[in-house]
Order: sequence, then structure tokens, then C-alpha cells
Amino acid sequence: MTIVDIRPHLREWAMPHVLCAGCAHGIVGRAFLVATDRAGIDPDRMVVVAGIGCSSRLVGYLDFCTLHATHGRAPAFATGVKLARPELTVAVFSGDGDGLAIGGNHLIHAARRNIDLTVVLFNNEIYGMTGGQVAPTTQRGAIASTTPRGNTEPAFDSVALMIGAGASFVARASASEPFTLERIFTEALTHRGFAFVEVLSDCPTYFGRYNRLGDGPEMLAWLTRQDSRVAEPLAAKRVVDHLPIPEAPPGLDLGVLHREERPVFTGRRSG
Amino acid sequence: MSARGVVLAGVGGQGVVLASAVLAEAALQSGFEVKQSEVHGMAQRGGAVVSHIRYGDTVASPIVPLATADVLAGFEWAEALRWLPYLAPGGALVVDARRIVPPGACRDHRRWGVPYPPLDPTSIAGRTGAVVLIDATGIAGTLGNVKAANSVVMGAVSRFLDLSDAAWEKAIARFVPPRTVDLNIEAFHAGQQAETLDPADIPELGLDPLPERHYHIDVNEAWCKDCGICPSICPEFCLALDDAHRLVVVDEEACTGCRLCEVLCPDFAIRIVTPVGAQGGAR
Ligand SMILES: Cc1ncc(C[n+]2csc(CCOP(=O)(O)OP(=O)(O)O)c2C)c(N)n1
Ligand code: SF4
Ligand code: SF4
Ligand code: SF4
Ligand SMILES: [Mg+2]
Repeated sequence: MTIVDIRPHLREWAMPHVLCAGCAHGIVGRAFLVATDRAGIDPDRMVVVAGIGCSSRLVGYLDFCTLHATHGRAPAFATGVKLARPELTVAVFSGDGDGLAIGGNHLIHAARRNIDLTVVLFNNEIYGMTGGQVAPTTQRGAIASTTPRGNTEPAFDSVALMIGAGASFVARASASEPFTLERIFTEALTHRGFAFVEVLSDCPTYFGRYNRLGDGPEMLAWLTRQDSRVAEPLAAKRVVDHLPIPEAPPGLDLGVLHREERPVFTGRRSG
Repeated sequence: MSARGVVLAGVGGQGVVLASAVLAEAALQSGFEVKQSEVHGMAQRGGAVVSHIRYGDTVASPIVPLATADVLAGFEWAEALRWLPYLAPGGALVVDARRIVPPGACRDHRRWGVPYPPLDPTSIAGRTGAVVLIDATGIAGTLGNVKAANSVVMGAVSRFLDLSDAAWEKAIARFVPPRTVDLNIEAFHAGQQAETLDPADIPELGLDPLPERHYHIDVNEAWCKDCGICPSICPEFCLALDDAHRLVVVDEEACTGCRLCEVLCPDFAIRIVTPVGAQGGAR
């Protein structure tokens, strides 16, 4: 497989980017750039729409047609772009807070329509940009600035949500496995229909610090351990001992978890 | 009778553990007390597997002490050499001429690339008694299944042990898969008769020399945030954080071009420049 140099796909004048040292979001962004190249997409015909958040902020550095939209509404903007200009490849960058909290409705309805978009959801279990508030993806027991004694709510399984809503390609991958990410993004970008990829990312600055999971290098290792194929259960690493965790989370299944052929929404009566 | 000691060594997948079960059973069948102990080292990756068997009227420990084995059976040349210190002075070395090169010996590791040892019994002259160098894998292949190479080796081992053919055959029938019993017994007898190879007849391994490639680790210092990810994952320790917690390239010569640093840097700050003519081309 040829090695892709991603620097030509970056807005070098805007670099270095604003994300914290060791934040895995950049690893995901890099893998996405490689995938657009592998998928043979003309950068001038690639559109990436983002909401608000550290993950969404990444689009400012991609040398494509980018649209930094409002919080949670990236799928709605992307729907508009795709309907008006169906020949463009349209992707969405969204955070777990952006896509699953404030933007949950936009996400599920885009999936229901099976519109030809690729959504990358950066799941770092927290609202990074605003200072580490609890997110709908924060695991039970984990500490956030708004759950200083540990989160008592269960977390969203975004993969199950997306399959239920009608996405025709659903995958989960981890920032700690960049080569797999490159492959899954390439498949998602070439899939016709709504493609959703949840990426396990991290936030060393808040989630890592609150939960004493270390900095960038340690958090990458922690991400590997969330993979259900890796024996160590997620709960074993949680430092919260005063909150009873009913059962250890079984770890998360990674890979392409759902794929189907379904009519693609184009806004027209036929086709 | 004082206890006899046999060490069997090979790599994962060669049937070393099964062969040691057969030997232990043959000794039990012959009325001896038997103790056996085995180590499987990274068998999935073809790593070392070694088994100790001791039998006699009474046996206290299952471990063959250094320099006391009556027979050392190597299912692979380099593994045989590795366990040579266990062989008693004058003990017999039985070895399959098969060579399985471990990843560390042939990969493009600059710092600790170790060459595979030459298959030359004269290189160990004086450190063994009889040396039986056989083409066990080849013989098993002729009989129909290379997997029976372990039985060929055990046939050759049996020449140095006081166990009856009947005991061996019973033990083989008990442990190998039912449909391969005849084949394995045949392989065992072939091993008893196998001729010692002339090392001159053994072809060269033909390993490529370590490729002469030099990678350039191109760090964009203006973008690097010294996060420590690349030093933590570089398998060759090319990168480090200095006392001021700044990223430094400490050993570019050792870089193998694996690009882990490049793909795991969250800041697009590192890129490996591949030498001209190498896979992927220069950039
Ligand atoms: C309408 C609106 N409400 C709230 C905010 C504040 N806000 C900015 S980013 C963010 C959460 C981002 O979290 P996430 O999507 O998980 O991204 P991360 O920073 O973790 O990558 C919030 C609540 C906003 N910008 N706009
Ligand atoms: S606050 Fe968290 S998510 Fe945001 S850039 Fe920093 S580490 Fe990444
Ligand atoms: S490519 Fe990077 S990670 Fe791999 S050996 Fe070279 S410096 Fe280390
Ligand atoms: S991973 Fe990137 S940002 Fe982090 S220390 Fe290495 S080069 Fe610098
Ligand atoms: Mg988040």
C-alpha cells in the first residue's frame, strides 16, 4: 500500500493546530486525510462539515472545502450541501457531545434518510472544549467536572443507536489503531449511503486528568484496552472506587459492525 | 538406574510438546518413574518451546540440570544450539537440519539484528558426543506429512535411550491423532534409520543481508507539542524527551521506517523520509 503524505492536504499556514498536546483527535484527522487520498477523492470536491468542539475544530486544518457549522447541526448543514451538490463527497466531523447530546436529533434523522454522508464521531467521553463536562457517552463511574463524584448515568452506545436509526454502514474504531482507522475511513467514504464511524478518541487534559488515566501516551494505551478483544475490562482501570459499578463494561466491539444496501436519499422522488 | 535426562527444543507448531508426551509415555510403559516439564515461549509467534523429561527408578525433579542431558533433541538448528549447555559432556545431539529463522534475526532491526547461526556441526565440535544431523522434515514429507517430523526426530533419539520399540509405538498410538498413527510410527522407524547428513550437502539459507536503508526522521519542531507519544511507541528507541521535556531524535540510525511515530503523532509533526529506491519511494 502506498504511503500517503498528508501535508499537502493540510492548511499549513494555520498550523500548529490548537488542540492540546497528546490529544488523540489529531491522529484521527490524519487517518481521515490518508483515507480521502486512498479513496481517490479530489480535494476540491471533498467537503467536511463540523459542529462545535475540539474534534469539530479540526476541520479548520483540512485543506478541503470545510464548513464549521453550529453546535450539533453539522448533519443538517451537510444534508443541505449534499442535496444541492450531489457530486461532492460530504463528511461530518462531530464530537460525542456535539453529535449525541445537542445534535442527537440531527444525527438520527440523517441516518434514517440514509443520505450519502460519512459521519466521524470522535468519542472522548467528555465535552473537551468547554472544560470537561459529562457527556452522554461518559461511562458510569467516570469523573467529569460536572460529576465530581462519578457519573451515575449509563452511556450511549452510538453504534446501536445508529444501526437502529437506519445507517447503512456503521463502524467503530480506535485512535490507537491508526492503520485500521485509515482502512475503515476509506470504506466509509466509498460506501453509498449514510456511513457512521465512531472513533474512540481521548481527552488527556480533562478526562485523563480527572480519571487519573495519564497523558497522551498512557491514554493511547488505555484506548487499546477498551477493545473487547483485549481481555482487560474497562472497569478495571477506573479509579473510582466509592461508586458501585454493577457490572464491568464488557469492552467495545471494534470494526465494521453493520453494512447494508438501502435506498439512498437524494431529495428526489426517484433515484 | 540413575535418572536419564532428555531436553527437546524447537519452535511453536513443531510438535515438541507432543513428542515429549510420547517420550514420557514410552518411559512409563517401560516401568520407569517419569517427570516432565515444559515451557512454551510465544508459541503463536513461532517462539522457543522446550521440554525436559527425566526418567529412571526414582526421579525427584522434572528439570534436567545444566550439562547433564543424555540427549538433546533439536527440532530446529538454532534452537538446538540455544539449549546446548544442557547437554552432558559426551551426550548425544539429535537435530533436524530444518532452519526456522526467528523474526529478530532477519528483520531490519539495526541495533540488534542477529545473524542466523551457520548450520555447521564443526562450529560446536567438542561440545557434544554423537551428533545426528538429519533431514527429519524432508523424511516426513516423503512419507506424506511434514508434521510427522517430530516422530522422525524421536526415532533418532530412541537410538540413545533404553526403551523398547513396543513401548514407543504404544506411546505414539496414544498421543498422535488417530488417523496419523501409522504414519507417525513409520516416521519413527525412518528416524531410527536416518542417515546423518553431510553439512556440505545442506544448502545455504540464502537470507538477504540486512538491507542498507537509512531513514530520515523529519520532525517539524514548530508543530510538535512534545506530547511524548512518539518516544513512547518507537520500537527502536529513536526518539526521546530530554530533561526539558522536549522531543529529541536520539538515534536516527536505528530507525526501521515503521512509521508508527508518523501515524500516531496527533500534530502531523513527524514524517519518515524513505530512502530513494526503497518501497514507497523517496519523499
Ligand atoms: C448552542 C451551543 N451550546 C453550547 C455550546 C458550548 N459548547 C461548545 S463545544 C461543547 C461540547 C463539545 O464536546 P464534544 O462534541 O464532545 O467535543 P470535544 O471537545 O470533546 O472534542 C459545548 C457544550 C455551544 N458552543 N453552542
Ligand atoms: S481539551 Fe481535551 S479534547 Fe480538547 S484538545 Fe484538549 S485534550 Fe483534546
Ligand atoms: S519510523 Fe518512527 S517509530 Fe518507527 S523506528 Fe523510526 S522513529 Fe521509531
Ligand atoms: S508525537 Fe508528535 S507532537 Fe508528540 S512528541 Fe512526537 S512529534 Fe511531538
Ligand atoms: Mg467529546
